[in-house]
Amino acid sequence: MTSPLSRRDLLRLAGAAAAVPVLSACAGAPPAQTAAPGTFTVYWNAGHDYQAYRKVIAEFEQANKVKVNLQKYQWPDLRTRLLADFASGTVPDLVEEPGGWVQEFAISGNARSLQDYVDRDGAAMGFPADWRPVTVERNSYQGKVYGVQLHLTCNTLLYNKAMLRDAGLEPPTTWEEFLAAAQKLTKDGVYGVALNQDYTYVWPWLTQAGVTPYDPKTGKIMDPVADAVEALRFQADLVHKYKVAPVPVSSTDYSGPQKLFSAKRAAMILTGPWDLDPIAKTSPDIELGIAPPLKHKEQATQAAGVSMFVPAKAARPDLSWDFIKRITDLKVEQAATKETGMLMPRVSWADLPEVRSNEAIKVFADALPYAQDSSQQVRLTGQLGKWEEQLKVMYQQILIQNEPADAALAKFTQAAEGFLK
Amino acid sequence: MRKALLYTLLVVASLVTVLPLLYMVSLSLQTEAETLSAEAVLVPDSPQWGNYAELFARAPFGNFIVNSLVVAGVITLAHLVFDPLVGYVFAKFRFPLRNTLFVALLATLMVPFFVRMIPLYVLMANLGWLNTYQGLITPFLMDAFGIFLMRQFIQPIPDDLISAARIDGASELRIYRRVILPQTRPALAVLGLFTFVFQWNEFLWPLVATSTPEMRTIPVGLTLFNQEYFTLWHLTAAGSVILFVPTAVLFVLTQRYFVRGIALTGLK
Amino acid sequence: MTARRRPRTLASRYARTAYLFLTPAILFFAAFFYLPIGNVVATSLRTGPQADQWSGLANFGQALADPAVRHSFLVTVGFSVLVVAGSIVLGLALAMVIDQPLRGRVAFRVLLLVPYLTSVAIVGLLWRNILDPELGVLNRVLAATGLPQQQWLNTAPLLTIAAVTLWQSVGYTMVLFLAGLQGIPETYHEAAKIDGADGWRRFWRITLPLLAPTTLFVSVMAVISGLQAFGQAYIITNGGPGDATDLSVFHIFNVAFRTRDFGYSSAQSVLLLMVIVAFTLIQLRAGRRAEVVY
Repeated sequence: MTSPLSRRDLLRLAGAAAAVPVLSACAGAPPAQTAAPGTFTVYWNAGHDYQAYRKVIAEFEQANKVKVNLQKYQWPDLRTRLLADFASGTVPDLVEEPGGWVQEFAISGNARSLQDYVDRDGAAMGFPADWRPVTVERNSYQGKVYGVQLHLTCNTLLYNKAMLRDAGLEPPTTWEEFLAAAQKLTKDGVYGVALNQDYTYVWPWLTQAGVTPYDPKTGKIMDPVADAVEALRFQADLVHKYKVAPVPVSSTDYSGPQKLFSAKRAAMILTGPWDLDPIAKTSPDIELGIAPPLKHKEQATQAAGVSMFVPAKAARPDLSWDFIKRITDLKVEQAATKETGMLMPRVSWADLPEVRSNEAIKVFADALPYAQDSSQQVRLTGQLGKWEEQLKVMYQQILIQNEPADAALAKFTQAAEGFLK
Repeated sequence: MRKALLYTLLVVASLVTVLPLLYMVSLSLQTEAETLSAEAVLVPDSPQWGNYAELFARAPFGNFIVNSLVVAGVITLAHLVFDPLVGYVFAKFRFPLRNTLFVALLATLMVPFFVRMIPLYVLMANLGWLNTYQGLITPFLMDAFGIFLMRQFIQPIPDDLISAARIDGASELRIYRRVILPQTRPALAVLGLFTFVFQWNEFLWPLVATSTPEMRTIPVGLTLFNQEYFTLWHLTAAGSVILFVPTAVLFVLTQRYFVRGIALTGLK
Repeated sequence: MTARRRPRTLASRYARTAYLFLTPAILFFAAFFYLPIGNVVATSLRTGPQADQWSGLANFGQALADPAVRHSFLVTVGFSVLVVAGSIVLGLALAMVIDQPLRGRVAFRVLLLVPYLTSVAIVGLLWRNILDPELGVLNRVLAATGLPQQQWLNTAPLLTIAAVTLWQSVGYTMVLFLAGLQGIPETYHEAAKIDGADGWRRFWRITLPLLAPTTLFVSVMAVISGLQAFGQAYIITNGGPGDATDLSVFHIFNVAFRTRDFGYSSAQSVLLLMVIVAFTLIQLRAGRRAEVVY
């Protein structure tokens, strides 16, 4: 049977039970306690357990005489766990996050400002000077740094070289060329392009159309509206009017277009570096071409990628900062890129031989300077969750369910005005 | 003719239930390239039994199995001890507030677990029970479903049996153990299986209540085989097959009681 | 054994025994259910990312006026109707077939119940993989047999996840009905046969009424779990396309853990709890009436 409770356990149980309502979703939770004193707990994405980072962790353990407990999660699970931790006050020492959480948790008071450490060590480690400005901005709040970017990625155009060559096509650079190429490439069970069901893939189109998602000064949403409608309609038309792309399926998975590309059933996809590895693994015979992001009103793409932050109640921020410093060293970035092809936030990273000599990574690296973070302004209002929920609904209604773009956007704008004011 | 029709119906229905699971087995024996290829593979070229070994190489999968067995096993035993007793009280005793208490008990079935999760987590953190077996087990020692089920089973047992035992001077606990429990053996098999299957597949609580890879249960451990943007299907499927085996074995062992057990009650 | 006829002392002695036996359960449910639920009610009156600012009944007012909440509730009711009706009709039909003296019926019983032993998460992942219109194995099989391709996750998403839910749970319903059928004494059927009632009539006049308690149990449980369905949206459709499968509990989960508005999500949970209690009480009352008739 269950281990019998001792009387002390029972008393503690009763006491703790009585304390629950008081602690109500964390208001007066006791001060920081991280598991065992000799353990340094890190929450990490299950897909980012690189050899290069393992090496850093081993060095970190040696230097600080601690044992690193690397807890690997999928992003939604990591977030569930983290919010429970914030409520209880038992927090990890360091957290990797998928982008956007740093500002959210800075606003809610759950992330620790790292400005004191940046003031002390910034010059020596090259922060923020060597980090691309967009990565510093998206990790700051009220002029203070709360997080450090670990990876910086962006979307660009991947294409099947043989298919384009057979069709006598050059890689498209504008929307018009893209549509024409897609039409020419669609035949015999091959789609010209495959679009992603995930709403974040809408941003390259919107930014290329010159749309500002949200301007806190004027309160305008998706401005200019006509350009936003054009961008949304363009994607829907690829699927429903010109039928050069399959109808995506709503799910929690992003790999649909990559799989079609790997199977040589889609000639072009718009995606980030994360799809390079699966393509290489499943269809090494594909001649993979990588072209810069498309240009419409402007040439632009979506900045993404993970950062690290330290919870406000973490017990040993000195150690956490030391971890950040070690794992963002240029040498580590170099090793990680060599190992996985991941893109990195340091400006000097783009000049490394590993980057310049790699045809794929080079194109991505050259696109990073004009990569934008589209949800920044909404995030700072603290309403990003609702915004994304509405955006997902609108995107899929247009792309999958073929609702008129202008009506769906109007509905979105109306809802957004409600919670942004 | 009519029989042939019924057989056809049953065979089709069984195929519909079993084929997807066989596809899972197929996935577990494919190479990573086969699982990722867009032209879905039905039967792998050469079965990759090594996928199962890789589970253990990549993660402390042995720990996951032990943890799952301990947690689901102990919880199941606890249910077998507590649920019939409480069910018996609701079925055969009259006492003030009985109906109120019973409705209040049923109401606990109507709150999704994650809604209670954060307060429970805070409670466990204060007890210092996070990342321990008692933390994983304690919140699930009883539930209203099991009590409800046992109440339904115990109700049809004739009251005369109880009265007779009382006249013989048996203590209440003795009546429960010697008169009631032996009658409910088939019901206990049902309860045990339901509880085990449910706990064995539980995800959310072991996700938040464990803090080291070594303490994870199988469903939580399986998330390790996902990359940031795609799933390692061959490993996830292999893990799912392993996850499936104990519940299937338990079911085959108990299924005889299973139908008879429910039949006895009439479910009034 | 009605308490009134017995001496008062005896009745109170039994009551004391009852409470003695109930004490561990009362303590347990207090600590792990009622205190947390009380905490949820307290949280529903607060707002902010830490749910630490008092807001009175504002969350409830907002929830009742929120079109997304209303929409997800309708989606959930639609889903529940499909699942409850489906599991009763299909479960009963299969149970009646398997109740026939057929060879190998034990094997069929096992095969039909097997999906119930797997977790919702695995079932969800598996079916999403199978149903994917471009990449899934089902369309490949359909193409090989010359049948038209399906896009069910886009064309009938709610129906599809309801069907997947049924696929998993129909064996369980079947077993319950089977048990109920075996509990009906053979004499009733024989009497009806002598009266000259044909198969259908016997089903409507005898089988169905005598099955009422089982049907009640199945439908109460199906409604409770249908209204709380979550994994199907969380794993298979992510609530989409658009908001077509935004089930209430999935919606509430997102408000809590994605939007981090625990106050608002708690208020919605409390409202949902009230709805489920109401549905259950209505069913129990209707069930009691059905039993009185026969």
